Order: sequence, then C-alpha cells, then structure tokens
Amino acid sequence: MPTESKVAKLSDISKIIKDGDTVAIGGSWLGSHPMAVIREIIRQKIKNLTAITVVGSIDVDLLIGAGCLSRLMFSFVSMEAFGLAPNFRRAIEKEGLPYDEITGLAVIIGLEAGGRNVPFLPYRGPFGSDLVKFRPEFYKEIKCPFTGEDLIAAAAIVPDVAIIHATRADNTGNVQIDGTSGTDVEMMRAAKKRIVSVEEIVSPEEIRRNPAKTKIPGFQVDMVIEAPLGAHPCSCAPDYVFDPWHIMKYMQAAMSPETFQQYIDEYVMKPEFEYLEAIGGMKQAAILRRLAREVKFL
Amino acid sequence: MTQYAKDYSVGELMCVTLAREIDDGDVVVLGSFTPLAYASYILAKITHAPNSTLLAYAAVDFKPFQLSFIRAESSATRGAACIWTMLEDLNSVHLKGRGDVEAISSIQADGYGNINLSAVGEYDSPKLRGPGGAGAPEVIKMHRKMIGYFPNHSKMTFVPKVDVITGTRYVIGAEERIKAGYRPGPIRYITNLAVISKEEKDKPFKIDSLHSGVSAEQVVENTGFELEVPKDIPETEKPTKEQVRLLREEVDPYGTMAFDFKPGKERLGYLNEILQKELEAIGYA
Repeated sequence: MPTESKVAKLSDISKIIKDGDTVAIGGSWLGSHPMAVIREIIRQKIKNLTAITVVGSIDVDLLIGAGCLSRLMFSFVSMEAFGLAPNFRRAIEKEGLPYDEITGLAVIIGLEAGGRNVPFLPYRGPFGSDLVKFRPEFYKEIKCPFTGEDLIAAAAIVPDVAIIHATRADNTGNVQIDGTSGTDVEMMRAAKKRIVSVEEIVSPEEIRRNPAKTKIPGFQVDMVIEAPLGAHPCSCAPDYVFDPWHIMKYMQAAMSPETFQQYIDEYVMKPEFEYLEAIGGMKQAAILRRLAREVKFL
Repeated sequence: MTQYAKDYSVGELMCVTLAREIDDGDVVVLGSFTPLAYASYILAKITHAPNSTLLAYAAVDFKPFQLSFIRAESSATRGAACIWTMLEDLNSVHLKGRGDVEAISSIQADGYGNINLSAVGEYDSPKLRGPGGAGAPEVIKMHRKMIGYFPNHSKMTFVPKVDVITGTRYVIGAEERIKAGYRPGPIRYITNLAVISKEEKDKPFKIDSLHSGVSAEQVVENTGFELEVPKDIPETEKPTKEQVRLLREEVDPYGTMAFDFKPGKERLGYLNEILQKELEAIGYA
C-alpha cells in the first residue's frame, strides 16, 4: 500500500490551483462545500478562475464577490430559503460575468464522461430547453447508432482541479464521506488534480476498519488538508448543520459591494483559525453539532 | 366518514393536495429544500403512502422525520437505508424512469409545459437572474408526473410564454410518452387558488378543482394562458382533521412550511422565530 503522505497545509493549495484554472467545486446546496479552501483561494488572491458547480450556493457567491472568477458553469446557484445569491445576481445582471448555464444532469453526466475519458455521453436529455440551444458547445442532439432514437450528447467536462470537503481521510488520500457526497466523487474522477479537505485525518488502519465508507481511493487524490469545520457556514452531514445565523449575516453583508468588502476583511482575510473564532468558536461549533444529532423521526 | 378540517391555511391545503399526488409505492425525489414539498412527502409517507420510497440529499429510503429549518439534511442522512452519490441517484431513478414525483416550482410557467428558472427578460441581460433549474429541466420530462406548486397564482407567474425555456415536459400525451420511453402522467399545478392540469399536447390546461371560496373567473383572470373551464368544477378536497393535526403537531411543529407564504420583508423575522424555537427545543435558551 502507498506510504507517501499527501497531507498539506491550507496555504499549500497554490501549488495546485493556479490563476486561470478551471475548478470544480464539490458539495451541494448548503452542504459540504469546501469553504476553507474557498476562503484560502480568496486569501491568496488566485484569480481568473472558471468555477464549475452543480448546485452551488455561498461557495460560488463568495468567489464571485471576491473577484476570483472570470467565468462560471452552473446548473443552480441559490441561497435556498435565504434568497437568491446576491453576488451571483449582481455579477450577471449588472457586471456581465460570462457564464454557462447547463442543466443539472448534463453537468453530472459531462463530469462522468470526463472521468471515463470519453468525449461525451448520451442520455434522454432536455429536448426543447433553450439551454440546449444557447450552449451548443455542451449539448448536441444525436441519433442512437443502434436504434436511431433521438438522444442528447453531454460534452465531457475535465476540470483542471477538483476541490471537495469530506468527513475523513488518511494521509495517502483515502477519503470517506459519511453524508452527502453530491457530485464529489465524479468531480474527483474527472479532474486532472484533486484537493480534499477533511474534518479529520485518521490512520490508514482506521480507514481499513470501514472500507465500504471509502468513496475515493488515494490514487485519485493529490492533496489532503485537515480543516475541522471546513465546510462552515455550510453543513457537513451528519456531523453538523449549516449555520443559519452566519448565513443571514452574509446575506446582509452581500447587499452591496461595499458592505461585502467589509465581510471579506472581517472574516476571510485572516487565518482560518481566526475565522473559526470570529464565527463563534467552539461554542457555535457545539450548537451546530448538537442540532445535527438531535433529529426526530416520526 | 372522513372528517374534514374547518380551520386550515391555504398552505396546509396545498401541502395536503400535493401529498395526495403521492401513490403508495411511489419513488419520490426531494430536490432543493422547500418546506412545503418536504412536508407533503413526509405527510404522505406517514399516512396513505407508507410504501413510498423517499430520496433527499444523498439519503435513499430515509425514515420520515420532523421538519426543521436547519436539520432536514442531517435527519434524512441519519434515517437513510442507503447513501448514494448524485450519479447513482440519477442513474437508478431519473434516467431509468423510476421517479414518480419530484415537485418543482418556477419563476414563470406557461400553457405549453415550459418552466423558467433562468431569467426574466433577455437571457443575456436579464432583469432578474434566477437560480437556474438544477435537475428540474430533466426531471419534469423523465418522471411519471410533472407536479408544480405555486404559492402565488398570478399573471406574473403564469405567463403566455416563458421568457426562457429552462425546461419543458416535451412529451405530454400518454401515447407519445410511452413511445418515447417514458411513463405516462399529467402535468399538474397546485396553486393557492386551484388545481390545473394538462394531459394532451394540443389541449390547454384544465381547471381540475377550485379551492373553497375561489371562483373560476378569479382563476382565469390570474392566469396568463388559456384555460379550459369545465361546466361543473369540483371544490378541491379539503384537508382532513387528522392531516391538519399531523402537520401541526408532528410533521411541522416549527411552522417552516408557512415560510413560503410570507412576504419577502417578513421572511427574515419569521426565520429568526423558527430558529429560536429550534434552539429552545434542544435546550439552548
């Protein structure tokens, strides 16, 4: 078994993520986005990125607001019950951020094609959708070579880098995800380089005690970063819930570019451990973990 | 004899009407967290559809849980029989045609079965940039039924033609659907005024039922596309006393469902109230 350690510090991400890269961001809705790595991208002022998200929220909105993106591929970006994503809206409505809006299944199937090393995969796709018409570089209407049936080809997506947040990994990058994995596995298979941040780095023996939980084996991972509460203010199910109090603060700050800059200065442009202090430290973490445990079945 | 409730909100009526769309044994997918739809599915599961399989986040066949604003994901995950990636989910359910219901909502909808979650105005320079459709453009075509719910039945939402077709049912008639490899089922919209549905490509939406106190004229006036108005339109079946009790006491005691019906300005305050109750419930003051 491999022994070479892939453990790195948050500040090491610039060894992998470069200006101009296409970066697939794991997580879904308000869950498990690699927020510690996102904040580090902003701290290090890595720019001109093309972000790829399936169902994004504050991850994408924060990168847009901080000026790190020059293009966005998405099927959905929303703060869910908190409202539409403010920076995302402003960038598209007022600032002309170039974007590719692709239907949800097409992004996932495109990533799967990337992972399989084929140029496209066919499916019974969204015929009649304007998005198919608007983005011929991602969709083609084709005929099945066997039956003649009309199908849609989703073009392969091969990101330069995939970044995901997971429950635990060992030092060689065997990754376990206890909760929502979204498209993390597909992104890691498709990408050229892969970074995973985890709640906890554990021993190889501990991984091997529960191999069925390992969703991504180490050979598909290039860098492992320990980042407890690294999805905050998003959830990392089933360990902690998203932080609605912080998200409300974020929504308030993102109302204008000026107040948003204050948010960036106050929360992002400081070391990660200071961020965790600023959001309420251990006390807040305990509440979010407790909420995730106290569920009631009917 | 069924005992119908006398005192219920329009949200509860919509929720129960959506729950009645779930047949026992259905495979039901929960997309983005929308309290009204989640409450409907969970209500169906604990009443008339115990054999339905519910999927949310990565959780498959999760145990029905009490709704909470913050804990839906951890509840579904902790009660799951199986944890899938999104690709496993869509390979097994969506693409295979095994999905029955995955209710959607939309910024605009028209009489052709088109929805718009992308942009109001021009696509490239929109007045309002919407969130995007996530899986909606595909699921409304692939699943057995296309169910939409609209808390504000108005000409702003129900337009003659959507500005952008994010997705469409595409194949509508039963025969056409079977030929194209899909299971037949209606397009049905549940609104705060009525239930309307469409089952043929070349026929307009028809008013199926009117909520208590709503007239057909009122529905027509608030709809921007043609509607078929049958002579005798039944009243939408009211929630039973038991359904209302279950919603208020078991499924949604924190009142998350009412969130969708609050005006934009009141939402934040209401949200804070719910969060406070949730904290108190776990022993934080």
